Amino acid sequence: MKNFLVSPSPHIHTSTSTATLMRDVVIALMPAVIVSVIFYGWSELLVLGVSVAACVLLEYVITKFLLKKENTVCDWSAAVTGILLALNVPPTCPWWVVAVGALVAIGVAKMTFGGIGMNIFNPALVGRVFLLVSFPTFMTDWTIPAGFITTDAVSGATLLGKYAEGGVEAIQGVDYIKTLFFNIGGSAGEISALALLAGWVYLLVRRVIKPWITLSIWATVAAVSLVFWLAAPDQFTDPVFNLLAGGMILGSCFMATDYVTSPMSVKGGVVFGVGIGFISLMIRYFGSYPEGMSFAILIMNAVVPLINLAFHQKKYGRK
Amino acid sequence: MKTFKIGGIHPNDSKISRDCKIEVLPVPQKVFISMAQHLGAPAKPIVAVGDRVKTGQVIGEPGGFISAFVHSSVTGTVKSIAPRKDLAGNCVVPHVEIEVEPDEWAEGIDTSDTIVTEIPQDKDFILGRVKANGVVGLGGATFPAHVKLAPAKQPDFLILNGAECEPYLTSDYRIMMEKTAQIIVGAAIMRQVLGGPRTVIAIEENKPEAIDAMNNMVRMLKDNHGGYDGIEVMPLMKKYPQGGEKQLINAVTGREVLSGKLPADAGCVVQNVATALAVYDAVQKNMPLITNTLTVTGDCLPAERQHNYLFRIGIPLSYIAEYAGGIPDEAAKIISGGPMMGKAIANLDATTVKGSSSLLFLTDAQTRRKKASNCIRCGRCADACPMGLEPFLLYRLYNAGNTEELENNAVQDCISCGCCLYSCPANIPLLDNINMAKGQVMGIIRARAAAAKAAAEAAKVEQK
Repeated sequence: MKNFLVSPSPHIHTSTSTATLMRDVVIALMPAVIVSVIFYGWSELLVLGVSVAACVLLEYVITKFLLKKENTVCDWSAAVTGILLALNVPPTCPWWVVAVGALVAIGVAKMTFGGIGMNIFNPALVGRVFLLVSFPTFMTDWTIPAGFITTDAVSGATLLGKYAEGGVEAIQGVDYIKTLFFNIGGSAGEISALALLAGWVYLLVRRVIKPWITLSIWATVAAVSLVFWLAAPDQFTDPVFNLLAGGMILGSCFMATDYVTSPMSVKGGVVFGVGIGFISLMIRYFGSYPEGMSFAILIMNAVVPLINLAFHQKKYGRK
Repeated sequence: MKTFKIGGIHPNDSKISRDCKIEVLPVPQKVFISMAQHLGAPAKPIVAVGDRVKTGQVIGEPGGFISAFVHSSVTGTVKSIAPRKDLAGNCVVPHVEIEVEPDEWAEGIDTSDTIVTEIPQDKDFILGRVKANGVVGLGGATFPAHVKLAPAKQPDFLILNGAECEPYLTSDYRIMMEKTAQIIVGAAIMRQVLGGPRTVIAIEENKPEAIDAMNNMVRMLKDNHGGYDGIEVMPLMKKYPQGGEKQLINAVTGREVLSGKLPADAGCVVQNVATALAVYDAVQKNMPLITNTLTVTGDCLPAERQHNYLFRIGIPLSYIAEYAGGIPDEAAKIISGGPMMGKAIANLDATTVKGSSSLLFLTDAQTRRKKASNCIRCGRCADACPMGLEPFLLYRLYNAGNTEELENNAVQDCISCGCCLYSCPANIPLLDNINMAKGQVMGIIRARAAAAKAAAEAAKVEQK
């Protein structure tokens, strides 16, 4: 008789793997990537290309030569980090700055901790924040490069930048509908809230992520900014503005929902989301940086192990 | 439509053999009847080499309170009584080898096909027949049925498990279609012995024909005979492991069995539909449990080689595989039971037992374990766990050897359903380690209980 396999049950396995999950995230990011390339043209393609290539290559080199472990590039997670990092920097960012960001994201934030699943902080955000504090000029150069349908390069400023500089008057007359569809100026991924939301819905439909972290961020931002705005409308921005402006959608849909750096339980996820919403809004209102999404997520990343200890799901047959 | 609240997964149900009618499997020249076909103490053989036994004759007596009678499934001469290798290749349990002759039934067994619908009123008579005919739970655990049918307090619910939530298996479906009346009579008998609780026949929605057949038959029996009130059919959403006792109780009643307690403590008794059929045979026909239905299936078998067989207990699995057309070339693993909780067969010469339910052939691509990668903390194992545990955490705690925290995180509540390992995108062998952790923690809990008991007794002696 031929030899048959013998192993403990279960004997079948889901077709979902780390690679299919990460590939779904890449697919979900495609609408935002396409929109950013259309509007920012060749310079955005360069940023994306350098970021993804650098992340993948670095992960390969580090696993193969430094850690001498099995190559993990095929799980698509380095590609996800690469795309997210590219969407988190201005389209005019020089290629070597992007490459430095990739080095920090993959080399420091991810591989130092042991690679996929082991990192405490979202790698793309660590890369972005490193660039923001190291190269503030490049990272806040909001010149809008010529895109494939727009023509000349013009200088711009982000809505949040205007608000930080000039208060509420500076953003009077902003068209929210336009902000929802395409809001030129800012990090590459911030152009179209709609493109990002389309990707988020895709992830929900494919059951890659659950909606609770994102929804709790939005609810917190809406509720807290409503209180401030009602109290002093001439000093604080309104809830709709705060939900649409800057990295709110990108951060809440794609960065805060990263499996590795978010809590495992639904309850924990809500606490995590409330924390991110509150901290990001406080930075926008009172901080020295115009945008606080990255810092808020990174701060809450650090609390995740504690949240995981505090919140467990309901067990069957136990109180 | 109802289902259980916590966790669960939705694997493809792959009921390829659902339309294959039950065929009677012929009996080979020799059968080997195991003395351990039930949970609890093995039976003690009461025949000797050279004895001639009749079909249905007792050949093994219960070896303890939780144990069961074993009967000969054939007529013939006892050739040997010796340990024989089981599915896993362990050679411990004595088997009675019988050389087969044409059937000659033992006294008092009604072998006719007439359906007896009149429910006996005497509980002791019912329990006596259930016990004497060696009926055990056929849902997987093979717990002696007479013990489960005599709970300390009267239950509120009798639940008949027709969920058959394991992919591929179709034996329960076939008996629900072909032996509908017998199952309902069996249910009514168990209801009678349990003092008339609400009786629910729970069937998953992927078996609408069985739901219809059961509904029609319940109505017919109610209209034409007494004793069938309080029996209902309840369709359930398709979700694995709905057929798990604790999950089924939750789906049907909304109740939960508290940790460390029994279904009876939650006012429920759960019996499989195949057990109901066995109870019918035992009580109405005085027929011992010597046959059961077994599915031969797998994606690597063509449609005409899918089968549901009525088999005699003690037939070697290799004989069944051979009779069904041999082992398909693509088969890489042969499983007894479902793909989620069944056992991989290491020894195909092992014999069928009361609880045998399938011979499932899986291909290499379907079943070979993939290499594990890092946990990405997606939480899918925790979402899938029907006991609300956190398999990722238990896995880590086991690796860290932290039995105290394992116990605090309820590893002992694990039902080994396999949802965690099935769901893990990183192919981490969660259940393998959790099963080992559970063994350790259960050992500690038992040792602690024993020590407490000893201390209490010592204190009592001192007082005197």
